[in-house]
This record gives sequence, C-alpha cells and structure tokens, in this order.
Amino acid sequence: MSNSLIESIKKTNAFACLECGKCTSVCPVSKFNRQYSPRSLLTKAVREHFDTLFQDYDLWSCLTCKRCDAVCPSDIKYSDLNQIVRTGAKDSGFHGKCSHSGAMEMLQTIMTAPDLNQNRLEWITDDMETTNEGDVLYFVGCAPYQDVFFSDLDLNIMDGAKSSVKLLNALGVTPVLLPDERCCGHDLLWNGDVENFKMLAEHNLDAIKKTGAKTLLFSCAECMSAFNDLYPKYGFSVNIKLKHMSQFLAEKIESGDLKLKDSEQSLTYQDPCRLGRHMGIYDEPRKVLLPNGSNHFTEMKQSNKGSLCCGVSAWMNCDTTSKSIQKERLKQAKDTGADVLAVACPKCQIHLVCTMKDQAVKEKHGVQIRDISAITLDRMILET
Amino acid sequence: MKNSKQSTFTFQNKQDQSYQLGITDPSPCTLACPAGVNVKSYVSLISSGRFQEALDVVREQNPLPGICGRICTHPCEEFCTRNEIDTPVAICWLKRFVADFELNHPETKPKKIKQIQKENIAIIGSGPAGLTAANDLIRRGYGVTIFEALKKPGGMLIAGIPSFRLPRNILKAEIDAIKALGVIIKTNNIIKGKDAVQNLLKFGFDAVFIAVGAHKGKRLNIPGETKYKGIIDCVDFLNQANFASAPGLGKKVIVIGGGNSAIDSARTAMRLNTEEVHVVYRRSRKEMPANAAEIEEAESEGIQFHFLSIPNKVVGKRGKVTGMECLQAKLGKPDASGRRRPVPVKGSEFTVDANTIISAISQEPDLDFLGKNHEFKTTKWNTFAVDENTLATNMKGVFSGGDAVLGPSTVIDSIAQGHVAARSIYRYLNKEPLQQEMKTGAPQEWEFKVDKTLQEHSKRATMPMMKVPKRKNNFEEVEYGFDEATAMAEASRCLRCGPCSECFICVPECGKEVALFSRPNEDEISLFRIPPYYKTLDPAHSPWNGSLITGKKTEPVRLDALIPYVSDPLCRGCGDCVDVCDFDAIQLIPKTDEMSVAKIDDDICRVCGTCVAVCSPSAIIPRVFNQVWLDQKLSAMDPKKKNVVVFSCQWNGSHIDGAAFPDFQSKNTNILFAHFMCTGRLESSFVFQALNKGADGVLVTGCDSDECHYDFGVRQAEKTVETTRQLIHLLGFESFRFGYSQIKGADPETFTQEVKNFVDGLPTKKTHRSTIQKPELKAEVL
Repeated sequence: MSNSLIESIKKTNAFACLECGKCTSVCPVSKFNRQYSPRSLLTKAVREHFDTLFQDYDLWSCLTCKRCDAVCPSDIKYSDLNQIVRTGAKDSGFHGKCSHSGAMEMLQTIMTAPDLNQNRLEWITDDMETTNEGDVLYFVGCAPYQDVFFSDLDLNIMDGAKSSVKLLNALGVTPVLLPDERCCGHDLLWNGDVENFKMLAEHNLDAIKKTGAKTLLFSCAECMSAFNDLYPKYGFSVNIKLKHMSQFLAEKIESGDLKLKDSEQSLTYQDPCRLGRHMGIYDEPRKVLLPNGSNHFTEMKQSNKGSLCCGVSAWMNCDTTSKSIQKERLKQAKDTGADVLAVACPKCQIHLVCTMKDQAVKEKHGVQIRDISAITLDRMILET
Repeated sequence: MKNSKQSTFTFQNKQDQSYQLGITDPSPCTLACPAGVNVKSYVSLISSGRFQEALDVVREQNPLPGICGRICTHPCEEFCTRNEIDTPVAICWLKRFVADFELNHPETKPKKIKQIQKENIAIIGSGPAGLTAANDLIRRGYGVTIFEALKKPGGMLIAGIPSFRLPRNILKAEIDAIKALGVIIKTNNIIKGKDAVQNLLKFGFDAVFIAVGAHKGKRLNIPGETKYKGIIDCVDFLNQANFASAPGLGKKVIVIGGGNSAIDSARTAMRLNTEEVHVVYRRSRKEMPANAAEIEEAESEGIQFHFLSIPNKVVGKRGKVTGMECLQAKLGKPDASGRRRPVPVKGSEFTVDANTIISAISQEPDLDFLGKNHEFKTTKWNTFAVDENTLATNMKGVFSGGDAVLGPSTVIDSIAQGHVAARSIYRYLNKEPLQQEMKTGAPQEWEFKVDKTLQEHSKRATMPMMKVPKRKNNFEEVEYGFDEATAMAEASRCLRCGPCSECFICVPECGKEVALFSRPNEDEISLFRIPPYYKTLDPAHSPWNGSLITGKKTEPVRLDALIPYVSDPLCRGCGDCVDVCDFDAIQLIPKTDEMSVAKIDDDICRVCGTCVAVCSPSAIIPRVFNQVWLDQKLSAMDPKKKNVVVFSCQWNGSHIDGAAFPDFQSKNTNILFAHFMCTGRLESSFVFQALNKGADGVLVTGCDSDECHYDFGVRQAEKTVETTRQLIHLLGFESFRFGYSQIKGADPETFTQEVKNFVDGLPTKKTHRSTIQKPELKAEVL
C-alpha cells in the first residue's frame, strides 16, 4: 500500500517542500494549537513514516481550508496530501475522532445503500413549486437530516433550502428536487473513505441525469465543491452547469430580474472555504448581500482569500482548537457591529451556532447567523 | 448467576506498583450451593421484609424451596463468613420461612405453561432430580411426563424422609406447583424391561432422563445376616413407615450406620412404640456424615449412640434376632474418603440386645428395572456411567442423574443434577454441542471484604421445636419454623460478604469499594473487588494490562475502569454534560482565561453514560460501552437469519439471553443483546451502525423515568429515540424497524414479551445498507 500511497503523495508536489514554514504561519489550526504543524506532517509523509502518521491525532485536525495551499511557494497541495494519507489510515483501521460518535458518518454511509427509499422531501410545503424533470435542479444536501439531528441548536437550517425554492419560484423557476438525492460524499472522501464516496457520486450523477437538468444549484458550498472538484478528480464527468445560489441570485440582480430592498439589519459574510479558496467564488455572495452600494455591509477582519474557516471539517476532531477558531471568528463578526452573519454553507452555520452553546461566548460574541438565500428572500421586492 | 472460581488479577501501574484485585465472584454461600442459588440476594430481601421476592430468587435455581428449607444439608452455612465471628446465619431455615410464607399467603398461583416445542421428554423417577429437570424443561416449552413407580410422587423425599422432618402437605404443595405448570406425573407406573427405555424414545418421547434414585440397601455382609428374622434395610423400613404400614419392631432396635438415613430410621423407630433405640457406628461422632443438628435431636429424643463399634455378627434365637455382637474400634490412618479408618480391637467383643436390626450403611440404585443384559454402561457402584459434565449416558438421547449417578447423596446435589440434565437435554434437542461447564463446588480460599473485627457478635436464632416428651409416637413436624420478626432479624445477621450481587444499583454508594472496573472483552461485565489501596489507582490510567490467575491457569487480561473520562484537548467546555447530569458529578473547570473543561468526579459518577451520549465532540471517552464494545456486539450478525439488535439497560433483561426465546431458533431469528448501564447511553449512531451492519430491526428497552434512579438518563434516552426515529424515517426505514419500550418494574416477563412482540412484527428487510464495509476500526486516534 505504501507504494501507491507514495505515488499519490508525489502528485501533491510534497517532495518539493522547501521547509520554509509559510504554511504553518497562516494555518488557523497552528495559530491556536502550537503543537500542530502542517510541515512536520508533510515531512513524515514523504519519509513514509506512515505507522506513526496514521495514528497521529493531528492528521485529522487539518481543516482542508487551503490557507497553506494558497501561500506555498512550491505549490504543494497540502489538503490533498492530507486526504491521501487519511485514506491510507482508514484502510488500515485508524480513524480520527468523530464528533457525535460518528452519527453523521454513519448516515452518509447508509446513504450509499442501493435500494434506499428516502423521505427527504417532506419539508416541502404547498406554497412551493417543485418538479421531477426540468432544466434547473436544486441540490438540497443533508440539511433535512441536520435539521433533525441538531434540533436542540435552534438552527432553522431548513430556512436556506426553503428560501431558495421560494426565491426560485418567484424568479419563474420550478426546480427539480431529487426524492432520492444522496449525500454528496464530500465528508466521506475527506475522512478517507474513497469507495463509499464513489458510490454516492455515482448515485447522484445517475439520478440527476434522469431528470434532464442542465443547471445544478446549491445552498451548500461543500456539495458544490464535491461536484465541481471531487467528482472529476475521481473520474466522474459532470457535464452540467454548477452554480451556488449566491451566483444564481447575483446573475438575477445583474439582469434586473431580482430587485432587493436595503437590509434592515447590518450584515457581514463568512466565506466558506469551499466556495472561496477551493472554487474562487468571492464576489457573487457580496453582490447579493451588497446591492446598490448599500452601506449595511461590513467585511470582517479576515475575509475573501484570507478568510477564517468555521473550525471543523467533515465532523472530525471537533476540539478546543476548533472552538478557539470559532470563537475568534464570532469575535470578528461581532467587531464589525453587524446584526447578522450571512453564511453560504450550512456547515458554517452549524459549527458557529454550536460554539454559542457556551454561554460566555454567546454573551460576549453572540450574533445571529442566517443563510444568504433566507436573507435575500426577506429583502426581495415583489413586483406586482 | 454466574459461578466461577476465585481468581486473582494482578497488574502493575505506571509507577510499577503491583496490585491484586479479586473478581467479584458470588459470596461463599452461593458458591457452596451445588444448585447455585443466590443466597445472599434472598437473605438480603428477607431482611427487608420482601419475602415473596426472596422466594422468587430461590426459585430461579431451586424449585423445591420448602423441602430444601427443611432437609437440605445446607453446605452454604458451612461456608458462611459468620462462622469466623460467631455462628452461621440460619440460611436453610430462612428459606423454609419464605416457602411457608407463600403457603400461608397463597396469592399467586402458578399458571400452566403452554407447550411451544414439539418435543416431549420422559423422566423416570419423581425425586428432586427428576422434578427439577421437569420444572426446567417445561419452562422452556417442552412437554414433560414423569413416570413414578411408587404410588405417590417424590422419590426418596416421600419414601425415605420421615414426615416429622418433612410434612407431607409441604411435599405435596411443591410437587403440585410443578404439576400446575403442566408436568404430567404418572404414578404406579413402572418402566420395566430390557427395551423399556428405548421404547419410550420410539413411542412419543424425544429424550429420556433416568432419575430413579438409589433405593436398594447394601448388605452388611456379616455372619447371621440372612439367618434370622428381624433384619430390615432402612429404605424398606422408612418406606413402610412413611406409607403408614410400619412393621412391628419389638421393644429394642439397633440401627447400623451414621448417615442421615440412619438417624431418620432411629428417630422413626423411636416413634413406633419402642423402648430403646441404639445407633451403632464404626467411627467416632466427628466422622458421622449425618447433620450434627439431627444427631443432637436424636440424642435428645433418647436414642443411644455406640461410636467406634463395628458390627461383627448377628445373634439370634429360634430364627429371630436377639441382638448384635460388635467389636470396639480405634481410629487408624485416613482412608480414601479422608476419614480415619476404624481398626477393630482384638478381644473387645460386646453385644447389644435387639428385637430388630435396621441396616442403614448405604444404598445403591436398583437397576433391576432395566432387565438382564441391558445395554447401559454402569459403574462398579452399580450406578449409571455418564459424562460427568453433561450427564449423557452411552445411549443417545438418554441422560441420567441424581442418586442414580451419584449414589446416595443430598437433595441439593440432586437438584443441581436436574438442572444439568435439563440443560443437556435442551442442547441435545437443539442439536447444540453438549459440553456443559459445571462450576460449582466448595469455594477454595476466600477472603472477603468484610472487616471481621468490626462485626458485632449476634446470636443465631434458635428453631422453636416440639418438646421431646410430646414427640413419642408422634409424626407431626418437630420444627415449627420462624415467625416474620425472627426471620428478618436472622437475615439481618448476614454480612453480605462477597463483593456484590452484580446488580449495579450500589455502584457509586458501595461502601465495599467494589465496582468501577470491568473486563471489556468479556461477554458479561465482571466487576472487581478493589482492595483498600484502590484510592491510589487513578482511573485516568485505565486500562491496565495484567494477568488473571485462576488456579494454575494464567491469562493476559485488560482491565478497564467503568467511569468515563474527559479528553482535555477535545472538550469544548459547552456544558451540555453538566446540564444533563443530575448527580452533579461533572463540573466545568477553567482551563485558560476563556476556556473551560469538564471534569468528572469519580466518586460521584454513577456510570450511566448519559454525558457520553450528549457530548457533541464525543470528548467524554467511555472505557466500556464504547465503539469496540459495539463492534463486538454487532459482529455476531448472521446474514442467513433475521437479525434483531436489542439495546437495553442493565435492569431490563440483563440476565436474559437467547435461551429465553426458544421458538426463535426455529424462526431463524438471531437476537443480539447489548446491555449498557442506562438507556441514557444510547446514541443515534448505535442504531445506524446496527442497521448498516445488517440488523433487520433495533429495539431499545429501558426503565420508566418515574422508577429509575437514572431518571435523567431515561429522559435523554427519550430524546435520542425521537431524533433517531425521525432520522431513520428520513432514510426510508419503516417505523417498525426501530422500537423503544419502557418496562415497568424491570419485569423480565414484560421484557421477554416486548422482544417477542417486536420480533414477530418484523419482516426481513431488503438490503438498505452500504455494500462496502470498511475495515474494522482498530482505534480512534486520540
């Protein structure tokens, strides 16, 4: 196994490491956990110290936020390296610390079952129009599951999906919703489970093909990244246009089809790592949140390419370091004076809201967090 | 109740100090009981006035409590720790008390058990071994017929035990209770002839248990034995006396022998218009196998004992016995039985006058019923040769036990054999291997966590008895029994030694410093008795590696603390665990200026595991009931069968296994039981994993929150169940694939019924599971 592993590692440019340490200097995990060093993990990998590496807690701490990738002078894909080594670890029976005793991972794994008969669209109400075949498909993601599992957090996580469908309807689009949509597989892949990731990719692409959809819309940045980056990387051709809801809405604002009033609340925006650094989408969400040069929007201290991750990736190693990152992010949001932190990924929402379970954090840095579509729906001017 | 031998667990901690822990075996009384009755448990229940529950505990292992409460040789009392302080607890009489209590308060009558198995079992002999086997087998749903040669059932209990020791109404009541379950007893029904046993197997029966007892007296083999009238064997004598046709004995009677039959014969003879009764025994009083109390009673009734006297020849006149010539003996070296051998003294002859001589030296099974040239293997003692672990004879489907195998022994030994026979027959009928681990016997070296120096001396309750003059010609019961107050006071003398009964209720409060440790790879949780220096063992350093030494066997083991611990780097200080724990065992401790970390107080924690379940980052690490435990439980999935996983708390069905569901075997159902302390430990992921590993359904059973001391755990379980229900609905599983029951009073019957109902309403599911199974998790990297 170590041979094929090392071949994969070579492709990440890992052997070109100059040991400059720039990665560590920008790494949010390193900032709050001084023991953590991307560089030393890389060194272990290229020296093939897999036995120790597979059992290294830090292997599973990387947020795959790509801050390091962006600054590396040797163009090393450190997050990819992490994913490769994790796959080796998982195949050897080692795993990082799953939060919720791995409930999320299990849900995703069960979704690979060929003959599943999900009831995942029960949230659709009479005031929404959806269809089974059509040009535009709205890929809901795992929000219906998260809505149940995190009911204690009062997340209102379905707000994003419901608002998206309503916005689409208002803009004359009847989106296709898949009754047998599966998890996109993003988390499983980053957890090192390539085979089950592939199962999910195959399921989803097959199901989508049958609908005849030409455009795929997402509220979840991770789902979109799976289709955009991960599926092609593992040999699946995705011959379909992919758009995040923020991109779709920005286009409609541009074209004049969507008119928004000024927000009553002041806003700031959390760049999801997948949307930003992974896919380079920075401007469209801002266009949606900040039309007509409204002054109700303030950027956080770290934003755009330098944005700070929400602290946890793929339900792994959710620990004190995560919490420190999240607290820092909430503080940055609070410092803008914004009433609402807009998010473009349900994971950011879950992680940041969860951090506010700590009463001390909530009192000091508490802020309302809402999905970008939900905020937009509230601001939409309906033309009669 | 699991019986195991004393074991020692040694391990070294990080400071290289060596420790020894004892496994929490049952208390010595329980270990000493051949039938494995949980003595400490029922004595404890009696002390708090819970008599019916106490009787239920006895009945788990002994279907004849009223009989044993009177005539058991009570080895339990011999090993009672109170022996080292003052006098043993009157365990046997306490058992009699609860049996009598039920008889005087007949509130619940046993119900007939429906035959759910097609097989029928024939039992030859209705003594304690036969009755016990019948009781066990009918409870497993088989048809049971007992063939009894005598005109009334009971075997040696009715033929050999006089009514002043065992009143016939008691005997009848206990046999009636077994009959009420549906056991058919055919009296006056002699199975006889060379092919009689095979014919039973040919015509309607699927297995046979031969429990014919040992009713044939051995001969004295001394001159004159056959020459004179007036010599009778004790079995014949007691049999005739008990069936109210007592022979004329004359004025003087000699009984030869030192066992219980000899004493019973002597005391019976004393009640039959005699003037003198002599017991002649060749060793000293110390070696006499009869109960000491019985010997004392016999003496007080005026029976004369001649110890160290060897019968030499029978003397008679005109064809009738007039007496017996004996030789004085002295004790020599010990023989095979460990007792000192009597050596005759030359020229010490003396004669005891008698009209009747009752021989009570020993008995053996009467195998005449098998006919000549039968094909059973027998021993040189004329008993059935059987596999000592399984009681299987050389004939397929035929088992034998009780005195027919052991030779003359005790009621409780026969009961123990009845259990073994029933288990073997069950396994035989289900085509399972017969090997049966019998781990009973006297405890070896025991040292219990009872500080004997601190115990106050207390007097053993005395048994109220019929005055001696009244006993003449009187076959009424001599012992009157305890009243409630006496029974409760006597039961309170019990030191509750042995670490615990593994009920877990006491875990945190346990003053004996038991618990906290478990061997995770064991099927059952074993608790460990912790020596006083336990306090220096930090559970944070668990698990320990060490070796378990049982007798000469040493095996490597891992020992885990039951208490979970908090992983500092993982804990996010959210306080969910603090909020959920109503025992206030968890506190948030400031770690840095802005970060707190949860800390579990080992002394307060009651190991329910609810905090583990609510911890979002899974930062509270359980040492048991963890992923490894779950993987192990779920590994028993059988792809060819309908698989059902039952998660239940320690109070609901923890002692119930697949054997309680005999009919599932035929229905091709595989039930996997996973018990944790409290359903509060349940997590959605457990259910998902079970379903994904191939379970067709998952049932969770726990207590009712009004009843459970882990009430908050139950409330959390309700939440988890609701979340899980919604999630598996989203996934598309039918609602009947996941069940949850709160069982009032932790009633085992309700539990069994709930499981049955759940399984019955459960069709086999298609796949609904991932097709790719990743390698087994070796470790979560921490």
